[in-house]
Amino acid sequence: MTSTPTRAAEPQTTSPDLPAVSAVSAGGTLGRRATAALSFRNVGAVYVWLLIVVLFSVWVPDTFPTVTTVKQVLNGNSVAGLVALSVVPPLAARVFDLSVAFTMSLTSVLTAHFLVSSGFGPTTSIALAMTAALLVGVINGVVVVMLRVDSFIATLATGALIQSLITMVTNDSSITGVQLLAKPFSSIAQLDMGGVTLPVLYLLLAAVAIWFLLEHTATGRRLYATGFNENAARLQGVRTDRLRFMTLVTSALLSGFAGVVFASSVGSGSPTAGTPYLLSAYAAAFVGATQLRAGRFNAWGTVIAVLLLGTGITGLGLATSAQWATSLFTGSVLIIALVLTGGRISLPAVLRRRRSPSVADPSVPAVADGVPTSDKEV
Amino acid sequence: MHADTSTETWHGADGTSDEADRPVLRVSGLSKRFGGTQALTDVDLDLAHGEIHALIGPNGSGKSTLIKILAGYHHAEPGAVAELDGEPFDLGQVTGSRHDRLRFVHQELGLVNELSATDNLALSRGFARTAFGNIRWSEMERRTTELVERFGLGIDVRRPLAMATPVQRAVVAIAAALQGWEGRRGVLVLDEPTAVLPPGEVARLFDIVREIRDAGASVLYVSHRMDEIFALADRVTVIRGGRRIATRAVSELTPRSLAELMAGEEMETEHRPQEPSGPAEAVMEVRDLCAGPLRGVGFDLARGERLGITGLVGSGHEIVPYAVCGAYRGPVRGTVRLPERSERWTDVKDAAALAIPLVPADRAGEGVIGDFSVAENLTLPLLDRLRARAGRLHRRRESSLAEEWIQRVGVRTAGRGARITTLSGGNQQKVVMARCLAQQPPVLVLCEPTAGVDIATRLQLYDLIERQAADGMGVIVSSSDTEDLLALCTRVLVVRDGRIVKEISGRDITESALVHAMEGTEWSLEGTE
Repeated sequence: MTSTPTRAAEPQTTSPDLPAVSAVSAGGTLGRRATAALSFRNVGAVYVWLLIVVLFSVWVPDTFPTVTTVKQVLNGNSVAGLVALSVVPPLAARVFDLSVAFTMSLTSVLTAHFLVSSGFGPTTSIALAMTAALLVGVINGVVVVMLRVDSFIATLATGALIQSLITMVTNDSSITGVQLLAKPFSSIAQLDMGGVTLPVLYLLLAAVAIWFLLEHTATGRRLYATGFNENAARLQGVRTDRLRFMTLVTSALLSGFAGVVFASSVGSGSPTAGTPYLLSAYAAAFVGATQLRAGRFNAWGTVIAVLLLGTGITGLGLATSAQWATSLFTGSVLIIALVLTGGRISLPAVLRRRRSPSVADPSVPAVADGVPTSDKEV
Repeated sequence: MHADTSTETWHGADGTSDEADRPVLRVSGLSKRFGGTQALTDVDLDLAHGEIHALIGPNGSGKSTLIKILAGYHHAEPGAVAELDGEPFDLGQVTGSRHDRLRFVHQELGLVNELSATDNLALSRGFARTAFGNIRWSEMERRTTELVERFGLGIDVRRPLAMATPVQRAVVAIAAALQGWEGRRGVLVLDEPTAVLPPGEVARLFDIVREIRDAGASVLYVSHRMDEIFALADRVTVIRGGRRIATRAVSELTPRSLAELMAGEEMETEHRPQEPSGPAEAVMEVRDLCAGPLRGVGFDLARGERLGITGLVGSGHEIVPYAVCGAYRGPVRGTVRLPERSERWTDVKDAAALAIPLVPADRAGEGVIGDFSVAENLTLPLLDRLRARAGRLHRRRESSLAEEWIQRVGVRTAGRGARITTLSGGNQQKVVMARCLAQQPPVLVLCEPTAGVDIATRLQLYDLIERQAADGMGVIVSSSDTEDLLALCTRVLVVRDGRIVKEISGRDITESALVHAMEGTEWSLEGTE
């Protein structure tokens, strides 16, 4: 009698995202499932996205609702999407990799450097750059997992180290050269089919791969378990350290690949290529975590969030010439999404009631009902 | 149940008759329910001026609930009366503090170890500031030094407490609780203050507690160690099963009579374990286990045996399950073997490779994954079995596996997709148990299996464990709850100060035998036989 029954069952959620109500529903017609799948709670960002599309179509009717804009949004955000997807597996295991932006810059300048200064062929250059990315991932893994430094600060530190390497290679100026604009290399990002470039396909493939990993494999389940409660996962035989190490290698490789694509698409290696992508990547991943598999960082939610942010920024670019509008938009979307999902404010009761019927069964002692975090939903 | 109170004279009282006779703290008719559990029933307690009054009772007897009600952490059921030095105060609400003259030192001490003694004292009573609002450190240090110096332990008031000894920290916690108190009648409540102290430092703490009493305060000293009562207390109140059993002057008691009060008549639990049948072949052997306070623990576990491991808090019994499963985070030595699987001895450092499932003590922290559904929690250690082509997780097989075990252990849930935290503690525990059983291990290791579990579910868990044992599984139950041990175990090892001091089996497992062995007073039992 030393503890009250309610306290024993308190969830120890410290995550900023919202706890998941698993999508497994005991029974229900197809129609009800479709309604659930299309509910604001599940795919709210899609509705916000549509709202933005309508808004800009009214605001700038001449330039916004065109095929060109669609292509621009897709082509212009595929690199951002790759970087955003790269942080999803680490975040699923509650690991922050803030070095992705630097890794991206690194591979972009290294590829350019090897192509232009060293005169290697495209394949060799890319292979060498990706090896560097792999090395970054391993170093991150060693520092975070083996030396047990908090991932947030550790990857900031390794990011600084990578930046120094970039400066060493570039002397802080972009590397340009005809080799970067020549055919085989430039095709990586610039080959298009009907105006949609190859990176869109890379984004699609990466999203499918991460979706499969997280949703459909044992590894994915163990990653989430590690992220939600590392102690419990470890006691159940999950090798949490190995998984966290793996996610850091994955994020380095994927963001490194984004750097190669970036170098190909702009035709130069820029020492600050990745910097603007860091905030948008985390914004997309966190907004994405509120979508589809609420509470879990997931691939398609992230892709939806990237497109939402990209559409908004493109629309703002067409509607106003204000330079500050893009950062304002990204920052606002991120704060609103996080407040609605993990913060202290909950949505109006009308929206909250729409939870899956299986959970609302009154015959079950709902121990967690008094805990505020369990009621936050979009 | 009627409790007898013998009025006694106790030392430390100041002469004036009226003041001295009036109890400093008087509580009566205190009851508390948690859902269906009656934690306290009509408890009375009175503390005289200048006495050390011990509150003793086994785990789960209601001591902590009583203290938490006094501290304002829980509210009492209506009808409870409380007076401090004659003036009534309200127990009916949850509040930050009940009364300025009722001070608490909780078991965990409530200190910030990264900060100095000065800072810690200031956290509870505020900082001395200048007119500009900056802190007057010299004034703060002078004040702190004054407060801690009377205990004479040479505490450096500027150094972080992490660098102090445990008894120094305890003293800082006491000093923090006593701030702004000087010279008034009041009560200092010490909740198991020796639980965190090494044995050598206990005597020094006792001196300090006596000094506080001699300075005119009353001390309510919560403990479940009988030796401490005899060393320190003037009077003792025994509670068991949420009721006050007796209040006696310590001078009237012997260790044996106190143990009898604590244990009561032999409890006739309906649930008594069945003796394992068949030959006693070992399914697990453990040798020379050293980890934390453990200093060389070894035992054999037979097929179908339910082996209890118990002891007081800090004795080390609670570490045994983690250590044998390879889940203890810290330096560990010893060997373990599962004879049915292999003749080879495994170093306990590598015991995780044996994949012995563990039901951990801290369900929320180590047991369930709160953000996962019931099914996901259930299948987490079984995912390798659910692999289909290309590493794909076989969803349909996962669902049926989860469904099967939900039925088998009788989990009450809205569905396998419901979030685990929507289940009651007992049902969560069934899920944790089910996923261990689903691995079909030769040995199941349980740590405090019924903590926070209601009575009805408790019995279901006992049944479940018994059925597994009947099928030949060996079960280790580490528990500080004697009810678990009585209901479940065919043999109990009692750990004291890191060693197995007593082995009790079969019919000899009784409440009083367990209490005596845990407290180290078994000599008085043996004397009667």
